[in-house]
Parts: sequence; C-alpha cells; structure tokens
Amino acid sequence: MPDLKTDVLVIGGGPAGSMTAKWAAKAGARVLLLEKRQEIGSPVRCGEGMSKDWLPEVGITPGRWINVEVEGARIFSPSEKVFEINEKHAGNEVGYVVERDEFDKQLAIDAANAGVEVKLKTAAVALLKDGGRIVGAKVKEFGQTYEVRAPVTIGADGFESQIGRWAGLPTNIAVRDMDTCLQYRMTNVDCDARYCDFFLGKVAPGGYVWVFPKADGLANVGIGVQVSQVENPADARTYLDRWIEHHPGYAKGKKIDMVGGGVSISPPLKQTVADGIMLVGDAARMIDPLTGGGIANGCIAGKICGTVAAEAVLSGDASKEFLQKYEKGWRVRLEEKLYRNWLAKEKLVTLSDATFDKIIDALSGVRLEKLSVHNILRAVRDKYPEVTKEFEAFL
Amino acid sequence: MASKKSLHIESSGQLCIYCGACVGICPLNCIYLDETRITFDEKVCTRCEICVKACPVGAIEID
Repeated sequence: MPDLKTDVLVIGGGPAGSMTAKWAAKAGARVLLLEKRQEIGSPVRCGEGMSKDWLPEVGITPGRWINVEVEGARIFSPSEKVFEINEKHAGNEVGYVVERDEFDKQLAIDAANAGVEVKLKTAAVALLKDGGRIVGAKVKEFGQTYEVRAPVTIGADGFESQIGRWAGLPTNIAVRDMDTCLQYRMTNVDCDARYCDFFLGKVAPGGYVWVFPKADGLANVGIGVQVSQVENPADARTYLDRWIEHHPGYAKGKKIDMVGGGVSISPPLKQTVADGIMLVGDAARMIDPLTGGGIANGCIAGKICGTVAAEAVLSGDASKEFLQKYEKGWRVRLEEKLYRNWLAKEKLVTLSDATFDKIIDALSGVRLEKLSVHNILRAVRDKYPEVTKEFEAFL
Repeated sequence: MASKKSLHIESSGQLCIYCGACVGICPLNCIYLDETRITFDEKVCTRCEICVKACPVGAIEID
C-alpha cells in the first residue's frame, strides 16, 4: 500500500469525527476520515438520549435516526418522589431518543457528501512526528500498514483515546471523574414514552439509573456508577440488576441487548491542541459531567475544530499557536457550563438519600419559571431551609 | 524484589464485553483493545487496580 497525503486526517468516525471532517471539507480542505471498525456507528455504546436545540447550529437535519421525541425528563428521588422538567430545560440528554448507529451513519454520509474520503477497518497505530510536531499517522488498513501525512491530524477516537496520549496531551482522568456504565435494551417494560427517566441516590452511587424509551414497552435501561464509589468488581452490573429487581415494571421485562463503557465526568482539559494536532469530542473529555451526555458537545466542538483545521491548512500554519483558535473557540462555547456542571456533580456525589428526597420533594410541589440552580435552591429553601446550607457556595 | 500480583483480564468473551472502560482509565496506558481481545503490558502495569473497578462486568481479576 503506497503512503498517502491529505490536508486533514481525522481519526475516529463517531459524531465528533464526522462533524469535524464535514466542516473541514466544507471549508475547502482535503479530508480523510478513518474508522477502525468495519461499520460506522456500530457497536452502539450509548444511552441514546440527546437534546435537540443545537442541531441546526451544526447543520444536522432530523432523519430516520429519531426513535422518539420526548416531552421532558422525570427525576426520581430515592423514595421515588418525582420532579418533572420539560424538554427545553432538561439538559443535554433529553429531547430525542435515537438510533445511535443510524445517527452516526447519517453524519458520516453528510461528511462523505461534503467531499470527505472515508476508510473503514483502518486504525491509527502511531503518530508521525517531525521534531515536536505531529505530521500524520501510521495506519493499518485491512492488515496493511502505511503512512498518511497531513499538516493537521485530529484525534476523535473516543473515551479510550490513544491519539491524545501519543501526542503527549494531558488526557488522564481521576477515578472520581469517570463513571463505569452498563445498559440493557429491555422489551415488555412499563416505560412512559413521553419521558426520559433518571433515578438518583444510592441506587447508583455517584451516577444515576436511566430509562430512555425507544418505543412503547421498549427502553434502554442503564446505570452509571462513579469509579471511586465502586467497592466490588462488577458493581455497575450488580446495582443495575438490583434496581431492575426492585421495579416490577422492569423486572417483568426481557433483555435483548447489553452495552457497557466508560464515561468521563471530568472538568475540561487544560489543553486540547499541540503542533499539528487537535482533540475533539469524548477524546477531549467534552462530556457533560452532570448528565454524561457527549454527543451535542462533540458535534458543536467538531464544527469549530473542522473549520479551524481547514483554515490552518489553507494558511499553511498548523502550529499550536494557530490552533489556539479552536482551543479558544470551543472553550467560549462550552467550558463554563462544563466546569459548572463538574462542580455540581462533585456536590451531588456527597448528598445522602434523605437530602435527595427533600430536594426532589420541594421541587415536585412548585412550577419553576426557569430551571436554574438559583431557582431550584430557592424552592428548596422555602420548604427545607436546612438543606440549602449544604449549597451555600452555589447561592 | 517482591513479585507483582497477578492480573487477569478475561477477554475471551465469557465476561468481557469489549467496552474499553479499562483502556480509557488506565493511568499508564498499558491496556490495549482490538476487536476481539484486550491485552495489557505486564511490565508497565503497576497493579493499581483502577481497571478492576472501572470494568462494569467484573472481567478483570487481581490476586
């Protein structure tokens, strides 16, 4: 296999990779997108819930990848008091429940239609370096090894990203900043297709149990547990099985699929670019630390990343200094919320089941005009003044 | 020198679901995932056991 040259090399065919590739091609760059598996979008490792207000911003049009459009979210306290939030206020996992494999394929199709070359079954095995700068990657396509040279290389290789580590970017995460997740697709369950449901408290230490409806009677039922809260191997599975056992509407269901994975719930990385390289999406730890949702942030950053990549190529400058435009761009758009939600996550992990019950109870009785931390705390203070003492830093 | 504990990653498919959680959390980047197999670098691994906790299905054992 002869070596290849391109302008922008994108490693990873998930949403962030396809989005980056598409926007780089639209801005005039030659783009090569690599996917290590034989199929883009598969296997699915996702709860498949996502918000929808950001889709026009990045040029994604609704398609057959949508399963269900939900009205909102229901947050359940440990004693199962309920707080309902309508979709507009519910954060970035509520809006659509999707077929992730179809969604990922649609984004890859959009990229291909914009002029991106796509290679399947092609993994990056090392980065090419020239002095300190990254100038492409050594890749393996169907077992054949060759080099792809590119002035800009992009790591969109997901949670278990190797590209960032090979480039020397600080992507390591602490055990308190990762959730270990497991999910079953279950049929014959009593889910309500109007809502994405979240169950908080000791049922899922440092995370939550989710029920995202795919259709009437069919739902993704999953759990995230903070790794620092894990006491025994397979706790994610143990806690999820226990939750299902204690919920007759789900215990009667049948499992037809199982997926697992790691989700970063970390503060934003300090650095996502170096000479000739940028990281985007889960590889750049852009997942919302409160909800665990990563699709919206990955796509929003992907558009910025692709646009800057093309500008770098066309101006002949792919230095770390030039790529700061991406670093600054995604931070302006996402960083404040990521950091704020990380702080909120750090706080929520410390709450007892009794406190969760009081908070949700206080909220279930009021109709909030606008869902903000301030409004939530005010509602809680009216009913349980002692609880808000724990949150003085947020007021 | 004390010998290291034994770490075993069950990746024949009986337990492992190839999700990559262990790969992503490993602080030394010494766990590798391909389509059908997970391996780790015996020499680099310090047996910190973080991967044992990160695995959602208990496919990693240490003793």
